[in-house]
Amino acid sequence: MANPRFLVVDDFSTMRRIVRNLLKESGFADADEAEDGVVALQKLRASNFDFVVSDINMPNMNGFQLLAEIKKDEKLKHIPVLMVTAEARKEDIVLAAQQGAAGYIVKPFTKATLEDKVIHILKKAGLA
Amino acid sequence: MEPSASAHNAGDAASPDAAPDVHHKIGQLTRQLHDALQELGLAEKLQGTAGELPDAKSRLSYIARLTGEAAEKVLNRVDQAKTQHDHIGAQTRHMIALLVADPVAAVAKGHIMNFLTDLEKANSEVDQHLTEIMMAQDFHDLTGQVIARVVNLATVIEDQLVELLIQTAPPELQSRVSPPASTAAPLSVDDVVLSGPVVDASQSTDVVTSQSQVDDLLASLGF
Repeated sequence: MANPRFLVVDDFSTMRRIVRNLLKESGFADADEAEDGVVALQKLRASNFDFVVSDINMPNMNGFQLLAEIKKDEKLKHIPVLMVTAEARKEDIVLAAQQGAAGYIVKPFTKATLEDKVIHILKKAGLA
Repeated sequence: MEPSASAHNAGDAASPDAAPDVHHKIGQLTRQLHDALQELGLAEKLQGTAGELPDAKSRLSYIARLTGEAAEKVLNRVDQAKTQHDHIGAQTRHMIALLVADPVAAVAKGHIMNFLTDLEKANSEVDQHLTEIMMAQDFHDLTGQVIARVVNLATVIEDQLVELLIQTAPPELQSRVSPPASTAAPLSVDDVVLSGPVVDASQSTDVVTSQSQVDDLLASLGF
């Protein structure tokens, strides 16, 4: 897929802008954003996305809950979800992996880390 | 504030007898407070909150460190970008002079090509500086999460002190006071379960401290 569509989910607008800008610099300009899991799910169900980059610690619906909702939805479960979060406990990383996250990045991170993970996941999913 | 001369004199005159009395009164107050807390069953509760205060101090130190590092990073990158910008400006003026003097020689001798090569290199470096300046803004997210936790702790302490105040109010005031409705947002399950940014990794063994540790952990799980 030449131009995958991203959904960036984070309750901090600064971080959403940073991630979107980094994706754009890495050649992935097609991205929308959501401030929490509830809005993300609405957008995912209303439109087509190929990749979700999600924070974990968010109000209303956190990243784990969003991941679970995506993975139990027949129409959405194929979408790779990359967690980008400040949660650095090992048990959180293990939980994300068990729930079906495609990758896990701990904040603060670098442009290279995000780019590497996204490309790796896209290739693994047959989207690049 | 400087004590008045009369107060000074009064204190000097009274001090030999007053000191043991003051000490005794402080002791009595301490005992009363301790007994009151025990009777009210609040000692344990407040003790728990007090235990969180060092963590709050650690979190505030983390905020100070992170914001300081971000400012430092931004200023360093701006300095570097401005130096390159000034260099390109000087080079551009030099190229204009060469082109005005002898356009053919400027191209033939490679001045223009060298300048364009330098320009592209500088452009790439300035772009890296801008990316780093952008990345430095991630402190907003990380410190925001930590601030939210410290504010939550302050709210808990406030609630407990108000509770203590109400329970220790004179009987004639008891009927007139009731616990105020909290204006703070209710704690979500997420706030309880998730721990937010690690402010001091040396105090914990169950956290990762680098992306490579995350990758190793995931690899060990077959991901």
